[in-house]
Formats: sequence, structure tokens, C-alpha cells
Amino acid sequence: MTPALEISGLTKRFGDKLAADAIDLSVPQGSFFGLVGQNGAGKTTTLSMAVGMLRPDGGSARIFGEDVWSAPGRAKAMVGVLPDGLAMPERLTGREVLTYLGLLRGLDKDVVARRAGELLAVLELDSAEKTLVVEYSTGMRKKIGLATALLHAPRLLVLDEPFEAVDPVSAATIKTILRGFVAGGGSIVLSSHVMALVEQLCDRVAVIDKGTVAAAGTLDEVRGASSLEETFVALVGEQDNGVKELSWLSR
Amino acid sequence: MAVALTTVTMLTMARMKVAMLRHAFHGTRAQTAGTGAALGALLAAGTIYLAFIGPDPLAAGYAVWLLGWILGPIFMGGGDETLRPEYFSLLGLSPRRMAAGLLVSAFVGVAPLVSLTALLGLLVAGVRLGVVNTLVAAPAMVLQLAVFVLLSKVSVALVGLALRTRPGAIASGVLNGAILAALGQVWVFFVVFGQTGVPAAVWYLPSGWGLLAVRGQWWALAALAFLVLLLLGAWAALLGLRTGAARLSTRGRRPMRPATANGAIVAKELRTWSRDLVRNHQLTFALSYGVCFAASPLILGWDGMLPYAGLIFIVMAAAMTSNLYGTDGTALWLTLMTPNASDVRGRQLAWLSAHAPVAVVLTVAFTAVTGGPWPLILALLPALLGGAAGLVPLVSVYGLVPGTDPHRRAGNPLRTSEDDGGLTGLAYLMLALVLLTGVPAGLVALRFGWAGVAAGVVTGALCYWGFGLLAEGRLRSQGPELLNVMRTGRKPQTTMASRFEHLSTTQKTIAGLCFGFGAIPLVPQGIIAAVFVANDTVRHSWFLATYMPPGLRYPVAAAFVVLGLAMYGTGLWFVTPRSSRQRGRPSPGEPVRAGCRCRP
Repeated sequence: MTPALEISGLTKRFGDKLAADAIDLSVPQGSFFGLVGQNGAGKTTTLSMAVGMLRPDGGSARIFGEDVWSAPGRAKAMVGVLPDGLAMPERLTGREVLTYLGLLRGLDKDVVARRAGELLAVLELDSAEKTLVVEYSTGMRKKIGLATALLHAPRLLVLDEPFEAVDPVSAATIKTILRGFVAGGGSIVLSSHVMALVEQLCDRVAVIDKGTVAAAGTLDEVRGASSLEETFVALVGEQDNGVKELSWLSR
Repeated sequence: MAVALTTVTMLTMARMKVAMLRHAFHGTRAQTAGTGAALGALLAAGTIYLAFIGPDPLAAGYAVWLLGWILGPIFMGGGDETLRPEYFSLLGLSPRRMAAGLLVSAFVGVAPLVSLTALLGLLVAGVRLGVVNTLVAAPAMVLQLAVFVLLSKVSVALVGLALRTRPGAIASGVLNGAILAALGQVWVFFVVFGQTGVPAAVWYLPSGWGLLAVRGQWWALAALAFLVLLLLGAWAALLGLRTGAARLSTRGRRPMRPATANGAIVAKELRTWSRDLVRNHQLTFALSYGVCFAASPLILGWDGMLPYAGLIFIVMAAAMTSNLYGTDGTALWLTLMTPNASDVRGRQLAWLSAHAPVAVVLTVAFTAVTGGPWPLILALLPALLGGAAGLVPLVSVYGLVPGTDPHRRAGNPLRTSEDDGGLTGLAYLMLALVLLTGVPAGLVALRFGWAGVAAGVVTGALCYWGFGLLAEGRLRSQGPELLNVMRTGRKPQTTMASRFEHLSTTQKTIAGLCFGFGAIPLVPQGIIAAVFVANDTVRHSWFLATYMPPGLRYPVAAAFVVLGLAMYGTGLWFVTPRSSRQRGRPSPGEPVRAGCRCRP
């Protein structure tokens, strides 16, 4: 079966720093794939290249077999993306953002209206009907971002840090939505540095370290007998891992 | 103790600013800053020269510097914001100490240094008068500079405060437009007051006090010092107000009704035009500027400029929106992810819907008042509207100045980008380019009357369509690169010059010839020759078209314009990165860096 997302040899250099060094990953259809790594390990760079938002220096990315760079129209129609910290059409309300993007995606006006209403209700954004996105809190921005990613019913979701700054109640809602999406045959790639969350949600994991894939496979293959966090620290931690205390903080 | 602490704060902030400027001035920003410094040095040298001519011109010169300090930042980017009050809000500094620290750090930078150089004119004036006057010049220079910097800070803070409410944004737009228009039409007021030379008022503006002090009016030095303290207090108070959050909107919203992708983009843009107070301000500014500029000669009883109000509004509004894509920041990712929709066309339509009705009403109404010249005005109207609606997206994707994302902007609403030098340059470029798009229709109208209207409609439509197409192509081929510029806030280090290095010798020669000599057919032999032909000037110096038989004059000039454009096009084709010409992904093993044609 064609993988939902297949990236091979993706490479990106920013100045002297090799942000992604020939990264290969394959996300099978129907899997919930977690990408873990430290800050600056190259997760966002990899995901941006995978969906066509950052041009790689080398390598390729395919979404359900469609190349992101040579067939962007077909590839991008099948993916929903939640980038981390990027702007939205800020002077629109949540409902207007969804209406705007739905029409941009070529959806019918009535379909857009129905889906927008449902998404806003499920993500508990309908109470902020008059609020512009620029006035949203960080958690609300994540939720409207997720709504835009889901709106056109994509078959693959690529989510960069979807749970950052989201309150526990909303997080539970989002988890339910995402599990339902996978149960219904969808595929998800999400990046996070919260190991417990990845362990709880994902069936496959890849550990990214300094722009390369340090480990990849099913959750059990990667973590073995220990927890994901222990495996992760062992994989990416420095050799001398004695945590230093701040002497001036204790009286 | 308090004084020592304040001094430490001031020095620390100044050091911080030096460090930040060192990091910021790289690549294109360093070039912009360098160009700005060179221009400033030239102006400063001119001002010092005025000191040798006499006190009146010097006082007038300093009045211009003062206006530059007050108005400059309001129009472009909100002034120097390297150090922001928000950075220090958790430190518990008293407002006065914070203002003092920020003031000292405000002296670090290119603009204050250039102004201080210009203020050397005070020293020159002092030396020419005597020893005491020379000694007074030194403190006068420092105090005068402090007044410049502080007046600038206070006026920006006041406008920033006004921009928190819609009436404030509109009022300050109207006021600023009127002030700038009055400056542009200052000759009208000279004529009205029967004044020749320099008006006496320049002596009594705060910009003249330093010179008054040097010339023996010692009270002026005290007045300057007092004004500095007063402004410092006002600024400290305004800084306290700035950190308050803007109010949340609670108004009802009209539902979004369009059913197509293009309609959705227009609806989104129009909502942004009406809801973003900075855009409200820019729109009313352009409107007020156009009306005041064209109407001010009415004071003299001359209405010949009145019909141009709408046209001036179009040009000014285009300059204000020259960074259309940059001000939306990283929201560009949505455009990249929906490649089947045409963002550029939607934005063009929205720009026209926001500006054209105003421009048309103004133009028709005012031309009706004066009774003409209808052909010229009606030729320029569609030409400029189409030109502006075509150039706005084009210039903003080619000259993109990375903006700060709206949700990350700090307390100064005028600050839409960290690169205010780049923004200013882009606005001036837009002014010039939009004016150029009106030239052909204007010439035809001057020569053949009503035929100009047809010419205007044709060139306007061509600009709208063609420039829009170019902008769309650029967005499609370079979208990821533009998004990356927006994300990192820095343009790629590889410039045209480094691309040039990768060409073969033949290619270099051709590109060099094209860039070096393209201007000759385009400007003198093309545009200027056409102007001479339009004015029936024949056999004029080296303008070939004027030597032609009547039927061939315009075709020859037009052919030269085409040749010039073709030469620039060829040159550009050589230095354009291959990724923008060859779409598609780079194959593995063939690395394509931004802006580099990696050819063996």
C-alpha cells in the first residue's frame, strides 16, 4: 500500500547549520506517527519540507504517492497542516477564517458553513464568535489551526506541536478527535517533545536528533523494555548527563 | 544613589542597543542602512554648508530636520524600536528612569549620528561669532539633538495611542495627510503671506532655539533644557499607557457571503481593510493627502490642481500598501497550501474595491467643479488605477520586506516590520513606478485628447493583468523562499551580485551590457524623446525620434522603450535563480541553493 507520507533524503542547510541531513521516513496509511526530538533537532524543518512549505536542498516528499513539489495541487489537497506559530488571516473571526479557507479549497458554500459550525462547536470556539483571531489566546490559536487543518477532510494530518499551550480539557477533546480520525482510516504525523503524550497516542515513533533519524519504528520497537523518555534521553542525551544544580538558588 | 542607578540603567540600555544593532545589520539591511547613512551624510553636509551662508537658511534647515524627525517615523514603520519598553516591564523600573535609559539608547544609531553631524552647523555659526558663542554651541548641539529625538518619540507615542480606536486612527490619518500635503505645497503659503525667502516662524520653532542660543539669546539654551525635561516627562507618561492591552472587539459581524475562492479572498481583504486600524490610518492618510495637496492652491484662487486629487490619492495609497504581503507576515503559508486558488487576483480586486470608488468619486466631482481638463484626467484615472492594482502585489512579492506577524507586534501599532528603511525605500519605489504607469496615457491625452482615455483603459488593463500574472508566477515559484524570509525576518544572503559571479564570461558580458546600457534606449531615447515629440519639439540634440518624419516619431520612441525593457529583461533572465524559472523539485544530488545557479 502507498505510504500516507514518504520522505526520502530530505536535506536542508541554513548557513553553516545542517538542519536536516538526508532524512528518510515512511508513514504507513492508518498510522499515528509521533516525531520526537529536542528543541532545534529539525522536527519543524522536516515537517515544513514534507508538506511543501520549505524548499529542500535535496530529497523528495510524497503524499499518497503524489510529489509535493511536482504535483502540489493534488498532494496538498490530501493533507491538513497545523504549523507551529505561523500567522493566520488575523482580522477575521474564527468562523470567517474557516469560511475563507473552505472556499479557497474549492468546497461548496453550504458544506463549508455546516463543517465550520461543527468544528467551532466541537473545539469550543463558538462562544468567541465576535473575537478576531488576532485577539485569540495561544491555546485558541492552536484550536482554530486544527480546525483549518481538518476542514477539507484530508486523509493525512501533519501537526507541529498541536498540544502546546492547550488546556487539559481542550487537549482531551483534541485527542478524541485525532483518535477518531485514525480509527476512520486517516493518518497523522505529529511532532512533540512531550514523551508521555506520544506514548499515549502514537503507534509509531521516530526520534530526530541533530537533523538525522536516530531511531524509527513501532512504539515498542523504539522504546523496548524501558519508557520512551528513558530511551529518548539515552539516544540523544550528552554522555556526561549529570544534571547541574544552581548553587546560588539554595539558601 | 538614584542618579547612579539611572546612569547604570542608561549605560546598560545603550550597550544593549549597540549589541542588537550589530546583529541586525547584515545583508540587505546593512545595505539599506549604508545607503541611508550616505544620504543622511549628504544632507548633513548640505546643512553645515547653510551655516556658511547665513543664519536664516540654517534655521530653516533645522526646521526641516525637526519635521523629518516628527513625521518620518509616523509614515514609515514607527521609528527606531530596537529597544522596546515591553522588554523592561518586569524589571520594575520607574517610568522616568526607563524613559531616561531609552532616551540614551535612542542616541545610539545612524539617524542621531547623522543629525548630530548636521548640528555641527551650530558650531560653525558659533565660531563665526566669537569664543563664548562657540562654547555655547556644544551644549546647544546636544540639547537640540535631544529635542529632535524626544519630539519624535512623543509624537510616535501619541499617534500610537490614537491608533487604538477607529476615530483616533482616522483623525490622525487626516491630520498627518494634511500636514504632509501642506509641506509639499509650502510655496502656496509663501505666496499668501507675501513672503520671499525664509519665514520668520522658523526661528521660533524649537528647532531654531539652538541657533538663537548660539547667537547670544542665552534664554534659548534654558528653554531647550526645559523642553527636554518636559518632553521626557511626557514620554515617560506615554510609555506607561503603551503597555496596556488593546480592547477586544465585541461588535456584531456581518456574515461572509461569497461562494467562490476569489470572492473569499476579496471578502477577507476587505474585512482586513475595514478592521485593521493601521490600514484605516493609511487609507485616510492617502485620502487626506490627495485632497489637501490638490486643494491648497485654492487659497490663491487657482483651481487647476483640484482635478488631480483622486489621482494623487491613488499613487499615495499604492505607496502605503507597497508591502501588502509583508504586513500579513507568515499567513502566506495558507496561500502555499492552497495552490489551486489565485491569491493575487483576489487581492487586486480587493485593492480596487477599496480604492477605486473613492478615487473615481473624487476625480469626477472635482473635475466637474473645475470643468476640465476631462480627457487628461479620464485618461490618467484608469491608467493609474490599473497600474497601482497591478504593481501593489508585484512590488510586494519582489521587494518583500519581512513584516512582524500581527499577533506578535509590540505596543507600537505603526511598527509592522523591523526593517523600516526597507519599507521606506519600497514606498518611494512604488510612488515612482505608479507614476510611470500613467505616463503613456498622459502623453497620448496631451497630444490627441480623448484618445488618451482609450490608451489609459488599455494600459491600465494591461498593467493589472500583466503585473498580476508576474506576481502570481513569482509567488508560485518562490513561495517557500518568501515564507522563509518572513519566518526568519532575514533575506537570503545570496544577492544578485553573488549570482552574477556564477555566470560564464559571455553571460556576464551580456548581462553587464544589458544592465549598463538598458537605460539609454528606455529613458532618453524612449520616454523623454516621446515627451519631446508630444510637445512638437523636433530635431532636438541626440533624441533620434525627434529627427524622424511625423508618422514615425512615436513608433521609433516606442521601439526604443521596448528595446530598453527587453535589455533589462534579458539581464534579469541571466541573473534570476534557476529555481524560479524551472519549477519542480530539485533532484537529489543536484543541490539548489536559494539564488545560486549551480552550473559547472
